[in-house]
Parts: sequence; structure tokens; C-alpha cells
Amino acid sequence: DRPEPKAGDLVKPELLCVGLWSRKWRGRGQRCRANSSDLGRCCWTCRRSIRSTWPFCRKWTARVRGRDHGGWCLVVWGRGSRGVPHGLLASLAVVAEFGRIAVEFLRRGSNPKIYEGAARKLNVSSDTVQHGVEGLIYLLTESSKLMISELDFQDSVFVLGFSEELNKLLLQLYLDNRKEIRTILSELAPDLPSYHSLEWRLDVQLASRSLRQQIKPSVTIKLHLNQNGDQDTRVLQTDPATLLHLVQQLEQALEEMKTNHCRRVVRNIK
Amino acid sequence: MELSEYVQKGFQMLADPGSFDSNAFTLLLRAAFQSLLDAQADEAVLDHPDLKHIDPVVLKHCHTAAATYILEAGKQRADKSTLSTYLEDCKFDRERIEVFCTEYQNNKNSLEILLGSIGRSLPHITDVSWRLEYQIKTNQLHKMYRPAYLVTLNVENTDSRSHPEISFSCNIEQLQDLVGKLKDASKSLERATQL
Repeated sequence: DRPEPKAGDLVKPELLCVGLWSRKWRGRGQRCRANSSDLGRCCWTCRRSIRSTWPFCRKWTARVRGRDHGGWCLVVWGRGSRGVPHGLLASLAVVAEFGRIAVEFLRRGSNPKIYEGAARKLNVSSDTVQHGVEGLIYLLTESSKLMISELDFQDSVFVLGFSEELNKLLLQLYLDNRKEIRTILSELAPDLPSYHSLEWRLDVQLASRSLRQQIKPSVTIKLHLNQNGDQDTRVLQTDPATLLHLVQQLEQALEEMKTNHCRRVVRNIK
Repeated sequence: MELSEYVQKGFQMLADPGSFDSNAFTLLLRAAFQSLLDAQADEAVLDHPDLKHIDPVVLKHCHTAAATYILEAGKQRADKSTLSTYLEDCKFDRERIEVFCTEYQNNKNSLEILLGSIGRSLPHITDVSWRLEYQIKTNQLHKMYRPAYLVTLNVENTDSRSHPEISFSCNIEQLQDLVGKLKDASKSLERATQL
């Protein structure tokens, strides 16, 4: 049985575990899965606990959240250096900040210095911040990869036992960033050079070392391709007949997308 | 047209009815054109029974001289009067000049094509093939559901005889951009030919 935390205990809180707590607490860093019969003594002010929260928790929650009700929030308990449970209220601001860091890391790669800065601000260890951010990164990438619906996302996050505002924040974070994250993920696919642009020039060859007085029209083409971020340029040439042939063939390719067959496939595979 | 002494000497020998009778002259001339224009031609081109009586050294000299002259004439796009003038200078009689000019006329187009194809140029596009696909998912990204094209340009290099290919992928908008630009080029070409 854990003693009820006192005011003085809320010094140097440590992130221990996110989840529901019960008598079946398995120790630091473990996530416990309680069923309702165990939740009698759950310290979490969570939906499933039938308000049997320690009064101190409720007061603390109320003070931080500004409301005195058994509403729920992300309260994490751990054992500090004094062997007494501490709590860290992961507020919306903190999660929002972690979310911003997570998205930035997805765009530009991770930067360990950021962890240290945030850790200092929140008065926790930088490992804590790192785990939090990495958890969010994983949540965002998996959700974006699978392109899950809003409802599915909400259901997935719900089991973590966060507050409603926090869930809304996470959902918004997902919806705001999913398009960009999917673009970043698409760059990881097996890659062929892709078309970037094309320049052309009409030339007429008038003479060469082996034959004078020519009139030989040709089209010079500069093809710009992208691969893995590098640009590759190819200079090519073709004659007028082949140019017309190219145009005809590629127009047929474009027409193909409009045929019934392709439309049916696009409509039905979703 | 500047031609070497070697060529001139060869032609002078060709002009001489004593060394080459009419039949031999025509045969040698045809052999010269054949060596230049026929891809399968080899030394056997001079192995004709009616040429056996002529000294092989003389035969080769005249054959070389004729071939050299033909190439130079082709390069400079010589007309009948230029040819006649030079051949007269080499003491060709009227009849032989006529035979030469007729043979030249018959082979002129092939000669010009051959000469025009010699030389360096940029890699030349000969054909295009395309593939339309519908992307469903990758291991990094599910539910992609977008069409994509894979375009391959067949390219020929004149010197190395290699046939590299250029392949690239594009989406519908990019392909439309590509086709649009190529159509602009072909329309400009049409307009230029009408000037």
C-alpha cells in the first residue's frame, strides 16, 4: 500500500509510468493493467475509478486544473529519492511542447540538446523528456503511416487514460501534421529518379566535318531529374519524327488514366 | 576540292584505255562505290575475273584513288560540272566521264546519308516506353492510393554504340508538364518549317 502523498513530496517529480495504477503495481517503469475491482485504491483521478481517490490527489488536481471535480488528468507517480511517491502533472502545455519538438525532429532529425533544455525547464531528467518525445514521435508516425481515421485515433489514445483535453490536443497534433509526415515517409520508399522539369531547343545542323551544306533539324532536350534530393541533368537530342512519336505515345499514356478500367480500379481500391 | 598527287596519279591511270578497258573501268568504279556503301563489302570486291589481268598494285591504287575522290565529292556536295571539270583535267574521255557521273548520281543519296551519319552528337532518343501503376502501400506508408507513371527513354550513342536507358517516375501532373513542353517544341518546329 502506498502512503498518501503529502505536499512536500511534490519536489523533483519523476516520470515513472503512464497508465492506470492499482494495488497490482509492479514496480518502477512498469505499466499496470488494472481491472475495475483493483481500482478501488487507484490514485488516478480517472474515469474508471469510482472516485476513490486520495483526497490529496483530488485537491492537487483541482488546484492545477482549476476545477474541483473527479475529472481526470495525466498524473504520473513515481518514487523519488526519498522513497515516497511524487507526481508530475503532464499539463497540456508540456504535451504541446513535446508535440512541437516531436514534429520538428521528424522534419529535421533529432537534436539531443533540445532534450536537455526542456528537461531543465520541467525539472525532470533529460531521459524522461526523451522518452516522452520519442513516444509521441512513434504515435504520430504510426498513425500517419496507417492514415487512421479520427475515431480510430481517439479510441487508440483513449486506452492510455489521458484527460479529454489531452486527447483532443493529441488528435489535433495528428491531424495538423499527418500530411507532412506522410510526405516525409514517402521519401523512404524505394526510389527511382523522378521528373523535375524539361527544357528544349530547336537546332538545325548546317554542316559537319564529313558533310557540308546540310539542313538537319533536331531538338535538344535538357531533362532535369531528382533522386534522393540530388538533381541530375541529362542532355539529349532527338529528330522531329521521333519528337512527334514521343508526344503521341505519352499522350496515350495520359489518356489511359481516363479509361473505364483505370477509373474502376481507382474507385474500388481504397 | 584539293586532292593529293596519289589520287591524281590513280585517276590518270584509270583514264588510260590501255590499262583499263571500258568494262574494267566500270567494274572498278562500281567496286569503289560498293566498298564505301556496302556494309558487308571486303577485299573480295576487287575479285572479278575481268579485273584479273590488271596488276594488283595498280588496281589497288586506282580503287583507293576513286574511293577518296568519291568521298571528297560527296562531302563537298559536288555537282556534275565540278566532277566533269576534274575528270577532264585527269584526261578522262567523254564516255568515261558520263559513266562516272551516272554511277555517282545513282549512289549520291546513300553516300550523303553515310557521310551525314559520321560524327559526334548528343545521345539520341529513339523511343519511349511507359508504364502506369497504382501505388497502394509501401512498408513505410500505407493507404497511398495514387497513380504513377514510369517512363523509359531509349537512347542511342553514336560513337560507343551503347544503348543506355533513362528511366524516371512521375505523377500525372508531371507527365502533363512533360507532354506540354514537348508539344510546344513540336509546334515551334512546325512553325519553323513553314517559314
